[in-house]
Amino acid sequence: MSQIVLSLGFGLVTASILALGAVGFTLQFGVTNLFNLAFGETMTVSAFVAYLAMVSLHWNLWWAMAAGGAAGMVLSLLISRLVYLPFLRRGTSQFAMVMVTVAVSFILKNVLQIFSGATYYSYQLPPERPIRILGMVFDARQLTIIGLAAASLLGLHLLFKYTRLGKAMRATSDNGPLARSVGIPTDRVVSAAWLLSGLFAGIAGVALAVDLGTFGSTTGGSYLLPIVAAAVFGSVGEPYGAVLGALVIGLASEVAANYDPQLKDVVAFAILVLVLLLRPDGLRAGRVQMRAEVTA
Amino acid sequence: MSAFLSYAATLLVYLGVNTIACWGLNLQFGVGGVMNFAFILYQAMGAYITAVLTLPAAATQVDERYILGWHLPWPLPLAGAAVAGAALALAVGSFALRPARRDFQATVMLVVSIIAATLVTSEQGWFNGSQGLFGIPQPFAASLGLGIDGYYWFFVAVTAGAALVALLGTDLITSSPWARKLRAMRENADAAAALGVNVRAESIKAYVIGGAIAAVSGGLLVEFIGAWSPAAWGTGETFIFFVAIIVGGLGNNFGAFLGAFLVLGVFLELPTYLPQFASANTEESLQSAAIGVLILAFLWFRPQGIFPERRRRLSRLVPAGVTEPVVTQPTVVQSAATESAALVRDRPQEQRGPAGAVPRTQAPAAAATRAPSARLAVSELRRGFGGVNAVDRLSFELVPGQATGLIGPNGAGKSTALKLIAGAIAPAGGQVLVDGTDVTGQPAYKMARLGVIRTFQHTSEFAKLTVLENLIAAAPEQPGGTLGGALLGRRHARARQQELLGEAWALLADFQLTSLADTYAGRLSGGQRRLVEIMRSLMARPRILLLDEPMAGVNPTLRLTIEEHMKRLRDGGLTMLMVEHELGSVERVCDSVIVMAQGKLLATGTMAELRGNQEVVSAYLAG
Repeated sequence: MSQIVLSLGFGLVTASILALGAVGFTLQFGVTNLFNLAFGETMTVSAFVAYLAMVSLHWNLWWAMAAGGAAGMVLSLLISRLVYLPFLRRGTSQFAMVMVTVAVSFILKNVLQIFSGATYYSYQLPPERPIRILGMVFDARQLTIIGLAAASLLGLHLLFKYTRLGKAMRATSDNGPLARSVGIPTDRVVSAAWLLSGLFAGIAGVALAVDLGTFGSTTGGSYLLPIVAAAVFGSVGEPYGAVLGALVIGLASEVAANYDPQLKDVVAFAILVLVLLLRPDGLRAGRVQMRAEVTA
Repeated sequence: MSAFLSYAATLLVYLGVNTIACWGLNLQFGVGGVMNFAFILYQAMGAYITAVLTLPAAATQVDERYILGWHLPWPLPLAGAAVAGAALALAVGSFALRPARRDFQATVMLVVSIIAATLVTSEQGWFNGSQGLFGIPQPFAASLGLGIDGYYWFFVAVTAGAALVALLGTDLITSSPWARKLRAMRENADAAAALGVNVRAESIKAYVIGGAIAAVSGGLLVEFIGAWSPAAWGTGETFIFFVAIIVGGLGNNFGAFLGAFLVLGVFLELPTYLPQFASANTEESLQSAAIGVLILAFLWFRPQGIFPERRRRLSRLVPAGVTEPVVTQPTVVQSAATESAALVRDRPQEQRGPAGAVPRTQAPAAAATRAPSARLAVSELRRGFGGVNAVDRLSFELVPGQATGLIGPNGAGKSTALKLIAGAIAPAGGQVLVDGTDVTGQPAYKMARLGVIRTFQHTSEFAKLTVLENLIAAAPEQPGGTLGGALLGRRHARARQQELLGEAWALLADFQLTSLADTYAGRLSGGQRRLVEIMRSLMARPRILLLDEPMAGVNPTLRLTIEEHMKRLRDGGLTMLMVEHELGSVERVCDSVIVMAQGKLLATGTMAELRGNQEVVSAYLAG
């Protein structure tokens, strides 16, 4: 029993990282309608940028994470402006766009690999005093990651609810052509979505590297599976749903890992399959369908 | 010399195996549009099954474990691989192909592939973990006594034979009416469903066949190499196959062969000939990055590939009797439809608005009235989106054989109502009755098969099908239109195809579009695409035609032409429900009109009556 409580603690940390990733992934999808399979590589690049900031500039972890977030934003915007948008303007079909994102992921991953080699890196963070909460054990860094995720999600919620930009994003996500026709500068909204998505990817990437202890050129890419599962669970394009999906998958996979570490990914996968069987287009199908009609 | 010859033989075997695999993927992705991001899984699976069906029961003293071990004679292990590949594809396809979006499907398959790779490398009892299997006997190696070189060339012949069989098989399928349906689905799945194609079922079939072909290719490879290692089938390999068929040309078997040669052969073998300039890891990374660049370059500069999909000029096959007379004598069209002449009602002309430029005729457009019109009634139909009641307790009945207009301000729920009736979206409540039968909640393809055909607000042509193909793809009851029918061969399908070609040609003549018969529909003007869509829906044998803004984005001249066709369909006794903002057209075409506002039925009557209705006028002003 205590073992399960303990793994719930790990689950909360995993869920926080997943939530950051899944929200970033789904937010950008909701606004731009593009399934970006290069998302994981943005995470990896950010983890490396944070590493450089720590090792060569001697920044502390949190400043390095900020640098990683900034790098994520820049990379995300660059990819969208230099690669995705030109293809979209040409009228590249939906499935060809998936190939485009796969190609970008291939290029980023392998260029990283050329520079980093096939070795693994670590932030070399000193061990911290364990903190017990309700039978779960955390260290201060993990608690900060959970807090950071909560704060980021709250920030996103406030952005959506109270700012013009947030409302414009929601409008564009719901109905792009309509948003454009009522005078919302959808181009800028789309850029903002890429920036925000990159920021979330960056923070998630650094947090993932902290949580795992070591990372390499394939770390972000291999984390894409649970992120997509969380996003699909919450109906892709729905940030709040993605948070829920991250919680369910984070907790379930860590509890399952208790029994067999191999089960971790399998659980995420099983949840994904289950969701697809029950609700092929996500749990909250209504709004997604509305959007599909618009983009069809 | 001998070393070179056996190297050449090895390359040829690889080329053959890769080509077969590419044909499988081409059928799935190039023709059917199914993005099988788990492709490598099927090759690996086929290889494994072939290995364990060839090997004798696992010897316990050696540290090698696997299942089955049936020691079957050739070619049974390959057949087993095909069955296993098909079964796996059926299992994976049944959930991975559920989402409507192809990028979702692709991602789910990618996930399947990653999970499978993890499980296989960790599973000792079944797959012998990361060590894999070795010492798999090569077919006939012992009995032939050819020596190593000779055997290599023998295997080249075996591979060539298998490739020939695969080519004949995939060619039979890709040239069938069934493949036309697949290509229509690939271009626009919703439109294909609205014409009666069960998109999920047909996608799964294409996926299963491709999976079986991939499995056989993997089986051949393992027979040649004599060993099976999970590391050789990495998830990333899938994308190399995708690159191959994108470079060679999607939807083209020769293109797939060329892609296999250029990408899987030349491109991947090239580093062996170049001087080593960096570490092996770096070179491998560079090669993978280059694959990414290759994808981008081709999708940007030549998305259709080196050998694009063949444009099928079907007009050459139109039966001679139909071709000329129809164009010059419209009466032939009339006689083609005499079997349903009883349905043509004699309508008083004076009730109508001003006739357009085209002279009025009583002739129904070619195939339109073959099927007797049906009665449609909806009652208490409801559907909301995120708290908004898009359609709110809508009830009405269509008079059979009449044209009914459905008008209302923007956001009134008109298009949603059509979608609910046609089964494109499921209602939250209420009933849809066709000829008194409750068909509420039936999927779009079943509604289409009942004769409820919907056209789309946005043009929905099958862009990479010719105009003639667009029309024929819509026709029901094609013997070659199923997978089984496709496998029975061209002769089996020919008679009906000829008949349909004639029918479609007559329709084209009627719409004066025969000159565009062999043009890709995606290259037409907006108005012409509308016409194609209308003709296509007529080919689908509508008993009730639901038209969603047929005049939207059409120039005034073409609008009159469309109006004339609508009137002729109406006079031919086809039940129609038409959503349209162009009220003049509604008045001229429709016998009666239904007005919706805020999801509810507001009024019914003729346009003249509605014009005097204060409520209707203010709803329009408010909207």
